Amino acid sequence: MSVKREGRKQLGVGLFDGQVPPLIAAAHELKSPLALVRQLALSLEAGDLSPSESQRMLRQISLTSERALRLTNDLTRSARLDDAMFTLEPINPQQLCEDIVQELQPLFNAYGRNVRFVPHRHPLLLVGNRDLLRRIIMNFSDNALHYAESDSAVEIQIRAFNAGQMIRLGVRDYGPALSSDMWKTLQSKLAKAPQSVHARPQSSGLGLYVASQFADAMNGKIGVTRHRDGATFYVDLGASRQLSLL
Amino acid sequence: MKKPLILIVEDDAWMAERHARNLEKAGFRTRISPHAIDAIVAIDEMRPDAIVLDVLLTGSTAFALLHELQSYSDIGFIPVILCTNLATEISIEDVSPYGVKRVLDKATMEPDDLPAAVRSVL
Repeated sequence: MSVKREGRKQLGVGLFDGQVPPLIAAAHELKSPLALVRQLALSLEAGDLSPSESQRMLRQISLTSERALRLTNDLTRSARLDDAMFTLEPINPQQLCEDIVQELQPLFNAYGRNVRFVPHRHPLLLVGNRDLLRRIIMNFSDNALHYAESDSAVEIQIRAFNAGQMIRLGVRDYGPALSSDMWKTLQSKLAKAPQSVHARPQSSGLGLYVASQFADAMNGKIGVTRHRDGATFYVDLGASRQLSLL
Repeated sequence: MKKPLILIVEDDAWMAERHARNLEKAGFRTRISPHAIDAIVAIDEMRPDAIVLDVLLTGSTAFALLHELQSYSDIGFIPVILCTNLATEISIEDVSPYGVKRVLDKATMEPDDLPAAVRSVL
């Protein structure tokens, strides 16, 4: 390529670099799956598809709709966190992660990707709410689905730290690295949570905002680690002392 | 005559597949890049006749790619069609200096709109 350096106005700055009002973020977040469902439906309407292609597209429509519905359910749950009754109890994260992997497998398979659970060597128990924790991990996994390279697997990982007092559930994707600018933005917004967090450029950050609210409700916190070949989004929660009492 | 080659830069695999199918039905060849880094390599290797570009991409946004394209005199002229859910927030006047010829709204466009837009910029 021949280089031609010119001074130009920075494009794109300001588009999504401020705090996005939740209603706009929700509208934006829902627009992508709805636009895709519409395009798939229009293709089906055109009617020049083989039966197997039609079947595949119907499956894509149902899976994309389920993703959009998960987001609306999360938003409803998030809005009712203050008045909702939920219990914090000892949870076996390994079992939860295995269940999530099983639930997500059809969606990942349909995208030609894989999701797998990397178990911890020893049994662990954490204190949390099963429903909220499940939503956080589903949310991170959904985010990872878009950013994972097609030949790589998304991994749901568990590890204990802080002398076993804390447990980290992470969702690791192998894809393009976050740029330094994006990383700084993400770090500063995570530090100032709760507020809109830019998960990745495609996202308005609503999913992470909701995840951070769910984590707060369980006395935990979410975070992200950048890797050369992707990222790990994680939630840290306190370990249950029940195991140590046994 | 060789069919024009259109590079589709779109990180949603299923949406990219829809774009490709609509363009191929209209007589174009297509290549899909899921992110800007792959797109740069593809542009350098294949010299597409036009680029269909989503705005919010994995790794870096379309704007980073547009800046990159404009840095090279031999590829900066390739016409770009932004195909995005953010169409209502983008003014063609702001992006035309970067080779963007058309802006399509993914949420409202019809299957024929993309081939028509590509034809109009070739």
